[in-house]
Amino acid sequence: MTSNIAGFSVDEIKRPAVTAGTSGLGAAVWKRFRKHPVAIGGSVMLALLALLVLLAPLSPFDPELSTMEERYQPPSLHHIMGTDALGRDLFTRILYGGRISLTVGALVVVISVSIGVPVGALAGYYGGRVESLLMRITDTFLSLPPFLVLILLSAILREVELPIFERNNVLTIAFVIGILSWMTFARIVRATILTLRELDFVTATRALGGSDLRIIVTHILPNSIGPIIVEATLELGYAIIEESGLSFLGFGIQPPTPSWGNLLSNAQDHLTKYPWLAIFPGLMIFLTIISVNYIGDGLRDAFDPYKVLEKVGE
Amino acid sequence: MTTYVVRRLIQTIGLLFLLSVILFTLVNLAPGGPLAGQGQSRHVDPEKVELLKRQFGLDKPLPTQYIIWLVGNDWMKVDIDGDGVAESFGTRKGVLRGDFGFSFRTRKPALEEIGERLPNTIYLMTITMLAAILIAIPIGILSAMRQYSAFDITVTTFSFAGQAIPEFWLGLLLILIFYAWLKNPFTGDSLLPAGGMTSIGVTGFDLGDRIVHLILPVATGSLGWIAWYSRFLRSSMLDVIHQDYLRTARAKGLPNRLVIYKHALRNALIPLITLLALDLPYIFSGAIFVEILFSWPGMGRLYYQAALQRDYPVLLAILIIGAAFIILSNLLADLLYAFLDPRVRYDKS
Amino acid sequence: MSRILKRAMPVFSLMAALSMILAACGGGGGAASGGDTIVIVIPEDPPSFNPAIADAGYDYLVMELVMLGLADMDAQGNVFPELAAELPTVENGGVVIDEENWTMSATWKLRQDVKWSDGTPLTADDVIFTYEAIVDPETGGWVPGIDYVDSVEKVDDYTFTVNFNTVYPGYLLLFGGEQAVVWPAHYCDASQGFANWDCGRQPLSSGPYVLQEWVNGDHMTFVRNENYFAPGKPAIETIVVRIVPDESVRKTMLINGDADLDMWTTEAVIADLLGQPNVVVEPSPTNRWVMRIFFNLAAKGTTDPQATPHPILSDVRVRRAIRMAIDVDTISKEFFLGMAQPVWTEFFREPYKCDIPRPKFDPEGAKALLESAGWTDTDGDGIRECHGCETAEEGYVMEMEFLTYSDYGEPLNLTQQFIAEELLAIGIKLNLGAVEGTVLWAYSADGGIEQSGNFDMDIWDDGYSGIDPNDYLWSYYYSEAAIPDYGYNYGRWINADFDALMDEAYTLDEEYRKELFCQMAEILEEELPEVPLFTTVNADAHSVRLQGVQSSTNDIVTWNVADWTIAQ
Repeated sequence: MTSNIAGFSVDEIKRPAVTAGTSGLGAAVWKRFRKHPVAIGGSVMLALLALLVLLAPLSPFDPELSTMEERYQPPSLHHIMGTDALGRDLFTRILYGGRISLTVGALVVVISVSIGVPVGALAGYYGGRVESLLMRITDTFLSLPPFLVLILLSAILREVELPIFERNNVLTIAFVIGILSWMTFARIVRATILTLRELDFVTATRALGGSDLRIIVTHILPNSIGPIIVEATLELGYAIIEESGLSFLGFGIQPPTPSWGNLLSNAQDHLTKYPWLAIFPGLMIFLTIISVNYIGDGLRDAFDPYKVLEKVGE
Repeated sequence: MTTYVVRRLIQTIGLLFLLSVILFTLVNLAPGGPLAGQGQSRHVDPEKVELLKRQFGLDKPLPTQYIIWLVGNDWMKVDIDGDGVAESFGTRKGVLRGDFGFSFRTRKPALEEIGERLPNTIYLMTITMLAAILIAIPIGILSAMRQYSAFDITVTTFSFAGQAIPEFWLGLLLILIFYAWLKNPFTGDSLLPAGGMTSIGVTGFDLGDRIVHLILPVATGSLGWIAWYSRFLRSSMLDVIHQDYLRTARAKGLPNRLVIYKHALRNALIPLITLLALDLPYIFSGAIFVEILFSWPGMGRLYYQAALQRDYPVLLAILIIGAAFIILSNLLADLLYAFLDPRVRYDKS
Repeated sequence: MSRILKRAMPVFSLMAALSMILAACGGGGGAASGGDTIVIVIPEDPPSFNPAIADAGYDYLVMELVMLGLADMDAQGNVFPELAAELPTVENGGVVIDEENWTMSATWKLRQDVKWSDGTPLTADDVIFTYEAIVDPETGGWVPGIDYVDSVEKVDDYTFTVNFNTVYPGYLLLFGGEQAVVWPAHYCDASQGFANWDCGRQPLSSGPYVLQEWVNGDHMTFVRNENYFAPGKPAIETIVVRIVPDESVRKTMLINGDADLDMWTTEAVIADLLGQPNVVVEPSPTNRWVMRIFFNLAAKGTTDPQATPHPILSDVRVRRAIRMAIDVDTISKEFFLGMAQPVWTEFFREPYKCDIPRPKFDPEGAKALLESAGWTDTDGDGIRECHGCETAEEGYVMEMEFLTYSDYGEPLNLTQQFIAEELLAIGIKLNLGAVEGTVLWAYSADGGIEQSGNFDMDIWDDGYSGIDPNDYLWSYYYSEAAIPDYGYNYGRWINADFDALMDEAYTLDEEYRKELFCQMAEILEEELPEVPLFTTVNADAHSVRLQGVQSSTNDIVTWNVADWTIAQ
């Protein structure tokens, strides 16, 4: 759902993650996360998917070369997910497609975190003009109708031939989705910093002559790591869903490069005749998003700010 | 409060101006032009292309195009027959006076195009959102009250599933099941129509016909929202339940049910209402996949078609009006929040 | 997916129960079309009834329901009179050629029994009004052939003469065919301009139907025109055009009997429709669209093959080797349901069919040809490099980009991948890409890939409609059409002999024209500026009960709508 962009502005301001120091936090989080069975299940599932995708080259089948005698074979022991329109093993295609889809997801997270976190940190820490300029930029991005601009940007960048944005490049799609989703991270980090800035340990560090950068990196960021990780996990899922939506509209990653999104949207023509072509890519997307959501849920509970708050005794 | 609103509105104007520059540039950057046909096998005289460019206002440099888009050209002389002499006044009024230009595709005013689609989108989206909220609120409350119960885990899984199925895929499945496979035992027709707003031949308002046409699009469109709102309500309920005053209320011996419904729910609904205000723009921009699959003549489809065919004026009009909706909804959300939660005051900031 | 279904089942059954109740008491879902109504499903609204301004395809479809031209084209591509009483020709004295200046004039006689749907007679004034509206320098537009017209003069109320500045073989369809119609002078507001006028959206009818209602994005309703000149026609009372964007939904509606006609049916849909008892797939008797490979003879990113020749493709032996390596029969059989007809020259159909022998599918021959052209693989990676070739530096690797457009859909994507594989087998590496058609064909200033020469090799489909290939040949092969944005000679192939033949082809002497075309065919076969591969499937699907549908050569299935009937 694209609504995460609008939604978190309320959510995160309302519940800042306030923790003092980092010692023992990781252990405490892990302890709580471990007790969350579905979250563990989600992690195992995601790890399995990632492992499978990494091992794709071990498949005995070629992901690209056609075998015209084996077009549209239903699932069998030989081809466990059947074959596609060019007689290629669907399982192998899905594994390679997973590399693309998960890469898109990971890149989106990297892009949006590496824009959002610095923007939020600088705005929150320095306040004043820096803050109002950075938050004005954030507001501008938040005012763009998300999916509409996504369509527009992918139409523009997909076919612009710059050295990094070659036609149909995975990076293009990741960049477009990422550039429209960093704002959540900026808001999370800024909200945390606003509450921390004046706390004793920060003032103390400052008094002891700690540099701004040091204070931000060693004291402030670790305190917003919880919500950042939660949001990053979910973002991975959103990116995969958004890529599949773009594929359906014809603006996603173009064949022959496989992605779960374009494998699924290409299959809609054959839904009744060759259902496996749609079922398996759909299942992969489904499993990934479910896992990612469970992990996010578990992490959120594990990082639960109110439990920590009680301990600090605010 | 008034000063705060006035200041925010002034900021809104500035923000919209900035956005209009960005969006105008982006839209015009898109490769592929409104002038290109699809591989048509015929010889178009280059002079005629120039004529089209003049008619569309694409013959001028981009900054000039932007100024004309913004303030119109009826105050200046323009060259419309291509002889190099600016002989008569233009006809564009500009966005500031409510003229978003005409669609390159249909040559109708862009606002008229939007006006034809907007009521349909508002109709569908309002019902979708209402359905989503009505279903999400009880789910959210129950799963918060019974955190980690079987119900909670089931509902959680279900709502994650709602987010894990791409909307276009769900819509297609529903059409297959309820249109292609299942038949109405009384008439032998398809159980539900494949799309559209009304049946052919139905004139005037027919409630039954309207409702059968709404079931599938609303089901497809609301699933994600149900998941989203119920998760949100669950977490804000949990926050409230854990707060001190509720513990105090419970300690004082108030019945748990009363505590939940009277105190917790009220406070948990505040952020939900704010969230709803933030989601209002979707009522304008519509649900693109639902509209495509269920042949619903709404804004999402209009935008998609305009993007494919590089209909710049329509694209821009939808983007700018959409952005205005988002900004105003944000303002509304902030005001609602202040109004509903007495702890928040904007006057000081 | 079964997991999803299981989990969602309670919701489904709830909805099913609810909808059953509603369907029982309310309007109900399907089969609203019945009696004397047919339903046509198309994916998007027509922009207007005037194809000359947007050329979207769906505008022709609805235009044919309400408006007529002087003449139109039938399924076989023959021209027949519509508003005209007869077709002017040299033989019947309607066309006079000025041999000295090489110009001509055509005198048309209109039917005298044609009335607009408001009862006003259609006269020569309407034709002159239409002409003046099109050529207006401020508010006008463009239709094919209008550049060849000097003036239109009225002779009497039902007679007028069109004066041409050349001899134009396509003159019969100037105010007709798929592009143009005659507009009502008393109804259209000339000051609004040809492209913008309201009568283009709320037309006055001269054809078999009248537009009754247009709900934007949803449907259009047409009812029989009581003033239509042909007695007893049309047979069908009401035509509803429903806008249904999704292809699989249109297909399902057709199978379910809720739609009677889907135009431009794609291969994937045809595959699903072929076994259906209540649906007929109607292929066009004339295959217009030829899938073909375009070669850029100039280096990628440039448009002058003399100054910057393409390092690989400027050698005709390479182009020939590429053609030899492509197995057209397999592509047709596997990706186009066997309905694609192999084609190897532009002049493959009557009346201009030339005798060019079919090239053999011969990968070994292709390899040998590449070897002899100086392209060999010495480093053993399977891809050839230039070792003594004439067009590139020593060691240049035989690797190129191979583009297509994404709008066509799966069969073309598969074809593109298959061809890339076949060329890899002979040592040519292709990197695949797919872009939107609007980007592929845009003007160079708008980033148009072809117009700016920013490609190596492309595959897409085109071909001439109807019977007059002149404009088509001019815009794809004439030297002037190689100037960016002037025509579609994207490969920038320039050949003086071809130009000379083209100049000669502006004549009404059919025997001579045929001879010229076959000489062109020889040159094209020799030089291979493009490689025609096969005709794509050109078909419309309709319900069994709808009869009389004939897919036309210029894609307009509604050309004979007045003759359609519903079987009882």
